[in-house]
Amino acid sequence: MTQRSTTHATFVIEREYAHPPAKVFAAYADPNMKSKWFRGPEEWKSTHTLDFRVGGKEVSSGGPPGGTMHKMNGEYWDIVENERIVMCYEMHLDATRISVSLGTTEIKPSAKGAKLTYTEQGAYLDGYDDAGQREQGTQELLGQLETFLNT
Amino acid sequence: MTAIAHATIVMERSYNASPARVFNAWSDVEARKRWSAPTDAIRIEYEAADFREGGKDVSRCIEPDNADFVATVNYIEIRKDQRIVFAEDVVHGNKRVSAALISVELAPKGDATRLALTMQIASFDGAGMEQGYQFGWSAALDNLAKEFSQ
Repeated sequence: MTQRSTTHATFVIEREYAHPPAKVFAAYADPNMKSKWFRGPEEWKSTHTLDFRVGGKEVSSGGPPGGTMHKMNGEYWDIVENERIVMCYEMHLDATRISVSLGTTEIKPSAKGAKLTYTEQGAYLDGYDDAGQREQGTQELLGQLETFLNT
Repeated sequence: MTAIAHATIVMERSYNASPARVFNAWSDVEARKRWSAPTDAIRIEYEAADFREGGKDVSRCIEPDNADFVATVNYIEIRKDQRIVFAEDVVHGNKRVSAALISVELAPKGDATRLALTMQIASFDGAGMEQGYQFGWSAALDNLAKEFSQ
């Protein structure tokens, strides 16, 4: 029998953007906008589909040419316009499921524009990934969101 | 809008049964109906049950005052006799009150099975649902032991 391991962890990332909550929310809700920042490195061959509604699915996959395919597969569980997005997603490396996560994004007006709080509660499976790597990857994505909002 | 309250609850139990028997008590909806209600006064009615990766359960938990909570479970990972990971969404009235990621890990320990249940919960109604999960699952896991007493 294969030895299974499951590691549970939570991380929280807070960011402040010089843009109103509605603009930040739109960057998550609009498939064309989200594809521009929610992606891997430029050299990866990537695909992204988003059906942004409760019960709707999102699939993002990509990887270096000839290398490991990274696939995110999620479903939206709760959406409050301009304020809250709740989703559950799983990550695969090729055919191996490496994690399952509950991610909540909360957006609030702030003096600068909008304060975003992303909280991920994850189950990392069989030692393929951990919360530290996932937090770093998510930080990079939220940096790409900022670049997108600023252009 | 209230901020989301995030919590993690871990419960551990040991059962006098093989991992295969404990797993069956989760996979078999008839068994689950017996042990998952926290008290005799609470009824659980299933509107859908589909225990497989990608399958969904829809169940209604009806309390003595007729307040009901509708839970939708999405089974994400099922490793026979080893692990079950599912996401659960709870609606009360017409309001979604929580979302949770729940992992069940089974491991043999001599002739017994050690079960670890980890609930990662995002509550939208303050701490109410966290207390509900604590109470409901603690009682259900105690009931589960009765499945193996004969």
